[in-house]
Amino acid sequence: MAKTDMVGMAPGAALSRVRPFTPVLLLVLLLLGIGIVEPGFLRAKDLSVVLSDASVLFVMATGMTLVIMLGGIDLSVQAGASFASMVVAELLPSLGYAAFPLTVLIGLAVGICSGFVHVKLRIPSFIATLATGGIMTGLSLLMEEGRSVALLDTGRHEVRWITGSIFGFPNVILIAAILAAGGMFVQRYTRFGRYSAAIGAGEPAAHAAGISVDRYKIMAFGLSGACAAFGGVLLAARLSSGSPDLASQLLLPTIAAVVVGGTAITGGIGNIGLTVVGTLIVSIVRIGMTFVGVDIFAQQIVFGGALILAVFVTIDRSKIAIIK
Amino acid sequence: MLNVEQISKSYGPVHALREVSIEVRPNEVVGLIGENGAGKSTLMRVLAGTVRPDSGRILIDGTSVSLRDSRHANACGIAMVFQEQSLLLNMSVAENIHLAQEGEFMRLGLLDRRRMNEVARAHLARVGLDVDPRTKAGELTFAARQMVELAKALALEQRTTAPLTIFLDEPTSVLESRDIAILFDRMRSLKSRASFIFVSHRLDEVLEISDRVYVLKDGAVVAERPAAEATVPELHAMMVGRALHSGYYREDRQGVPGAEPVLEARQLTVRGAFESVDLTLRRGEVLGVAGVIGSGREELMRTLFGFLPQTGGTLKVNGQEVVLRSPTQAVAAGIGYIPRERRVEGLVMDLSVAVNMTLANLDVAMTHNMIDHGRERTIADDWIRRLHIRTPSAAQVCRNLSGGNQQKIVLARWLTAKSRILILDHPTRGLDVGAKSEVYDLIRDLSAQGVGIILTSDTLEETIGLCHTILVMRDGMITGRLDAPAEAKPSQVAVLEHMV
Repeated sequence: MAKTDMVGMAPGAALSRVRPFTPVLLLVLLLLGIGIVEPGFLRAKDLSVVLSDASVLFVMATGMTLVIMLGGIDLSVQAGASFASMVVAELLPSLGYAAFPLTVLIGLAVGICSGFVHVKLRIPSFIATLATGGIMTGLSLLMEEGRSVALLDTGRHEVRWITGSIFGFPNVILIAAILAAGGMFVQRYTRFGRYSAAIGAGEPAAHAAGISVDRYKIMAFGLSGACAAFGGVLLAARLSSGSPDLASQLLLPTIAAVVVGGTAITGGIGNIGLTVVGTLIVSIVRIGMTFVGVDIFAQQIVFGGALILAVFVTIDRSKIAIIK
Repeated sequence: MLNVEQISKSYGPVHALREVSIEVRPNEVVGLIGENGAGKSTLMRVLAGTVRPDSGRILIDGTSVSLRDSRHANACGIAMVFQEQSLLLNMSVAENIHLAQEGEFMRLGLLDRRRMNEVARAHLARVGLDVDPRTKAGELTFAARQMVELAKALALEQRTTAPLTIFLDEPTSVLESRDIAILFDRMRSLKSRASFIFVSHRLDEVLEISDRVYVLKDGAVVAERPAAEATVPELHAMMVGRALHSGYYREDRQGVPGAEPVLEARQLTVRGAFESVDLTLRRGEVLGVAGVIGSGREELMRTLFGFLPQTGGTLKVNGQEVVLRSPTQAVAAGIGYIPRERRVEGLVMDLSVAVNMTLANLDVAMTHNMIDHGRERTIADDWIRRLHIRTPSAAQVCRNLSGGNQQKIVLARWLTAKSRILILDHPTRGLDVGAKSEVYDLIRDLSAQGVGIILTSDTLEETIGLCHTILVMRDGMITGRLDAPAEAKPSQVAVLEHMV
């Protein structure tokens, strides 16, 4: 009906329309750039290495997206993934396949604990998860006195569903793709997805609409814990071992993947589809750096810089009166 | 000495101030009254230097000044004591008094705390407050903090040669009567040093303390009276500015409420806010709650929607006893809430019209436990049509819509949730006249459909015009209960009697 009755657009509306497409544009430019400098990079074999690598990061970033959408952050993901790699490596010999769901469930439980600490004790999420992450790191170290646990032959057999491939296509990529589809479904079609967006975009209004904010926050942290654990399982399978610091370089790239994709660190705006793009960008930058010879130790510098830039561009400062 | 001349300020189409002229003479208390939205706050911000007027000028001792910021305003002798106090509670009284003025106590690059405390003690003595300047501000009572604010404002005296004018914004709204008496006492004794502009909702107080009173209405000064010649009813009539003309609030559509109670409170208490409130809301009734700020009415409204848990008494919804610990439980009990902070608590501004409409009852938009976006869209389009919401589409983000349309979206949410009880907390705040009248019509529609409504409003006139029954609160208690049938509306004075 009232199509003609156009309401005045808010300032910056045009910019915010273009913004969602910038990550995609960036991804295309990156691919083109690397394709020109190193045509070999775009070969199917190399691309599948990039995607396999990206899969683990993506799994962790999926959980992170759910939490960031709500306006929180989960700094325990790298500790959670490392912890899960230890747990699964310890459990595989005795439990067999049951070790996988059990590990993910443990991750879920730890995530729910983080959520409780954050919501019920009213502790900011970055502190709550920093603490639970520290606890998990400690447990991982205690388990084998700081040593890593190699997967024995039996274990290697049971991780084939992760390390194998179908028609030359690595399973791990399929797993990530299924998770991506599932995550997008959850965000678009479920109560949890809808309420998360509402809480992230305007918590007081969501609260006043009768949404039990606490419950959905705890759920998000639980799912993030589960995703981190699943990422740890994938990593353990791919590297054939569990280790207390297996995922220790992954926190920054995980957050970067979410934010570079365009999900706002203040919450409310974003989705897992964006995180797919963000993860690809981060992974390509990561491997591209190795390709063009950037020292592996210098790579965190790039991620740190990229994170600052991405947050700078996407953050909605009207939501934060005082930046602390 | 301080002259505001022909100051105007517009925000878009809204004229916050229209050619306002005010004079503050030496050693004088000037009262400033007006309804919410009359322009008091804007005028205060202009004088504080935080808002630039579009036109007009400010003269201090005959010299025109253009206030750049609050520091500059201070330098010009204008000090503010805000309604929401600006003390930093984790710092000492002395540190607060000298905040951002520590320069004068620096010696060899170090802060001379002893001297700072001494000077602070002298300032405190002048407002008659006997506390150790090293005490943390947070440890003081509210009334004492107010005195510290006053001492802080008076400390300006030493930094400027300009005559001192202190702007007190609703200083009494949070004080008890004994503390108000002390404050007034101090103001009278400090008049020899400074002039005051005193803003309050309580007209009797304004008359008591002021020498002259200005009445603001719709951004313009409509009257100036020596306090000795004015009366509360007269000031109130000028403040409202318009004799009640019947029909503005759709009084002709005011039906007769049903007999059955939908909401009953008995001895409802929230410690520290209100006590032993009895109320009965019947089917289709519009029940108004009137009272000044601090009377407990705001808290009562929030309690009825589960924001503030009750500490005593009982609450029944449709005859069933309920305890509301959160809005979630209130919504489950069939209660809806239209908040006064529409942009914060009313809508998720960055989400679409449709999403906001189904937020309290997503079930209606779900098939097979999944959100059915097509169905949600249909529901939203239906409300957009029925409530005449002006939006390009249901997918439009709420932030871009006008206040009136936003308010209708909040209402549509509760209609979607099939709420039978609505708490309307200042439902027309910030709306223009046209949007207000649409809201009035909607309230009549809801009432006719049997929805029970509890309402508070910025103006007494609106409360009287809209409601079947009016409860009046003062100091956390119900002090009056008035019937307001369409053909025999009580006068504002009759309601006011119970308020102050």
